[in-house]
Amino acid sequence: MRNHLLTAAAVLAVNVALAAPPTAVLRAPGKHAEDTCTSCHLALDDARLRTPAQLANSDIHHTQGVTCAGCHGGDPNSEDAAAAMNPAKGFVGKFSRQAIPEKCGSCHSDPTFMLRYVPNIPTDQLAQYRTSKHGLALARGDTNVAVCSSCHGAHGVLQITDARSPVYPTRIVETCGVCHADATLMARYGIKGNEVADYKQSVHYAALVKKNDLSAPTCKSCHGSHGATPPGITSVSNVCGTCHVTQRERFDLSPHKDAFAALQQAACEGCHGNHAIAHPQDDRIGVGEKQVCGSCHSAGDVGATAAVAISGALAKATAAVTGAERRVERVKRAGMLMDDAEVKLEDAHQSLVVAQVEIHTVNPTRVEDQTKAVLINTGVAEKLAAAAEAEIRYRRTGLFISLVVIAAAMVALILKVRAIER
Amino acid sequence: MRILDRLWQALDERLDLAPLVEFATHKEVPQHRHSWAYYFGGLTLFFFFVQVATGILLLLYYRPTAEAAFESVQFIVTRVPFGWLIRSIHSWSANLMILAAFAHMFSVYLLGSYGKPRELTWWSGFLLLLLAMGFGFSGYLLPWNELSFFATRVGTDMVSKVPLVGGWLLKFLRGGEEVTGATLTRFFGFHVAVLPMIVTSLLGAHLALIQRQGMHIPEGLEEEAKTHRPLRFLPNFVMREGVVWLVGLAALAGLAAFFPWELGSKADLFASAPAGIKPEWYFLFMFEALKLLPAHVLGIEGELLGLGAFSLAGLVWFLVPVLDRGSQAGHRSRAFLVLGWLALAYIVSFTLASFAGVFK
Repeated sequence: MRNHLLTAAAVLAVNVALAAPPTAVLRAPGKHAEDTCTSCHLALDDARLRTPAQLANSDIHHTQGVTCAGCHGGDPNSEDAAAAMNPAKGFVGKFSRQAIPEKCGSCHSDPTFMLRYVPNIPTDQLAQYRTSKHGLALARGDTNVAVCSSCHGAHGVLQITDARSPVYPTRIVETCGVCHADATLMARYGIKGNEVADYKQSVHYAALVKKNDLSAPTCKSCHGSHGATPPGITSVSNVCGTCHVTQRERFDLSPHKDAFAALQQAACEGCHGNHAIAHPQDDRIGVGEKQVCGSCHSAGDVGATAAVAISGALAKATAAVTGAERRVERVKRAGMLMDDAEVKLEDAHQSLVVAQVEIHTVNPTRVEDQTKAVLINTGVAEKLAAAAEAEIRYRRTGLFISLVVIAAAMVALILKVRAIER
Repeated sequence: MRILDRLWQALDERLDLAPLVEFATHKEVPQHRHSWAYYFGGLTLFFFFVQVATGILLLLYYRPTAEAAFESVQFIVTRVPFGWLIRSIHSWSANLMILAAFAHMFSVYLLGSYGKPRELTWWSGFLLLLLAMGFGFSGYLLPWNELSFFATRVGTDMVSKVPLVGGWLLKFLRGGEEVTGATLTRFFGFHVAVLPMIVTSLLGAHLALIQRQGMHIPEGLEEEAKTHRPLRFLPNFVMREGVVWLVGLAALAGLAAFFPWELGSKADLFASAPAGIKPEWYFLFMFEALKLLPAHVLGIEGELLGLGAFSLAGLVWFLVPVLDRGSQAGHRSRAFLVLGWLALAYIVSFTLASFAGVFK
């Protein structure tokens, strides 16, 4: 009985702390909120007080019927400033930084309330935030860390799918960078502060900004957003494996898996690095200078021998693809349709990509199985190109013969004309 | 030989052919320093014959639907024996025909041969050039590749600017609001039925007029022509023209073998237009000029103004035999000569500049 009472009291306490706004300060969902707060604040001279009212127009909360009082309390229907901003009616002007996550969470952690606006919207942001490095530091009283408004903005909050939102994939790096690119600030937390700059050199960032690939990983893809925390040594491969599923599966088949675990080495990071991940190059495989295997293996050992075999097979396959592509392209430029050869080149390319994935098994046989498929396909493409080259020669010979015939006819005609005009 | 003679006699009795042969054997072609210009018309005719012959061969395999057009042309150029040659010659010959027609028209214009009594020949020739450009425009779409699809979209869009009937004209040309399979089928109909029918009859009239009136001796060269013995049309001129046709044939063979006409990739109705869409080269002088015009000039849409100006220029060009009053008495005016050179300079310079990428 006592336990039940305690549980009920705890639930009540949470509900009081996380209470969604009373209905008096809400309008119908989807209806733009009109209140006396914005109409007065828009007329104020002090930009600090006027700007929030200006931003309210595009704010997702305001456009969905949540008035200013939804967060700040007070009476949004009163035209009397003192009544509208009466602390007795719950009015709070500016929130303390610590209060912000709880304030946002009062609605965003309430599934019943949130479902009125968006079906299937997650409501665990606050719970995640509390587990994050930011949330933990805030709980310790560190107000330098990010709270909801640091990333989403305070007024004029946009949906995360809006390209203007600071947390939109193409903008989130800059948003995290506001703090994380500040080396002085980061030094206090033992973070280098070069992570954002490094990430901008990466193949992921290039995919994001050059190819406009919104699925390319940004900070939050690996570190999480609300529950932001660095992935630990053991979870790095899980993080990378979320997208690079096959590579992870192949790695798990390899002897590296247990070896890396025993050495407490981060799996993917060991060879690929972390923030500044470059496009993988086949010539990085080996024990030579600037080659990744050399950090653990030395020439002659089992690993180095496998690396040399893998590297050789890949180089041969890559050279075959490049050579066949050049030859087919040259024939195409001469005007021949090479669709069949292009299909074979595509197949060869596919096998080469699979071979590059098989590298993660560090098993030369598995890599060579794929590079053999590459060589078979490039061989067919080369044959088709050779046939097309023969056809070009045949056509040109035909042209030469017909030109000779035409020229003979012309000469005959000219001679005839001369004869009859003499 | 006796059979041939008897056949001839039988035909002559029934059709009275002797005067025609008499005409042909006595027909003469004047000789002077510009008599080279007389060969362009025949060269255009040669390319037209090539178009008819290769066009009929292409018809054996071509399928005029959005689903099958591209694949059928691909089949022609890859699988059909000598299909690549026929298709390539058809495309090259189309371009060389327009080029020869332009050369023919400008030589006739600059030598002042449009004046009385050859007005009808000029008008029929002018219409033939427009029809040839219509052949080019409709034929360009038929392979249903990316470039032709978007060029047709831009090209047909221009007719929508025509006041009052623009919207109707656009729908008539496209067979709907957009360029679709319906447009392809329609263009195919224009290309292989409507245009050939009109061109064949108009070409017959054009050739008949030339035969009836004989070759024009440019003003000022009459005395020179008198000092040269004229060529007999049969067989001398025909044989010389034959040499020119053989040059045309050799050019076609060389171009088709060394620069096979590209097929590109199949049209995708939902793809966005690729960069640098351009019409066929003989529309470039108009296309680039229209692009240079500002969006609005004196409150009128720039493109509409440009199209109006080109229509007006075309009308002036067409009416030259009437507007150039001196030409009716055999003395074409210097102003119209200058106009001709200016038109030629404009067309050549804009076309070359467009190829050189000046208008990018």
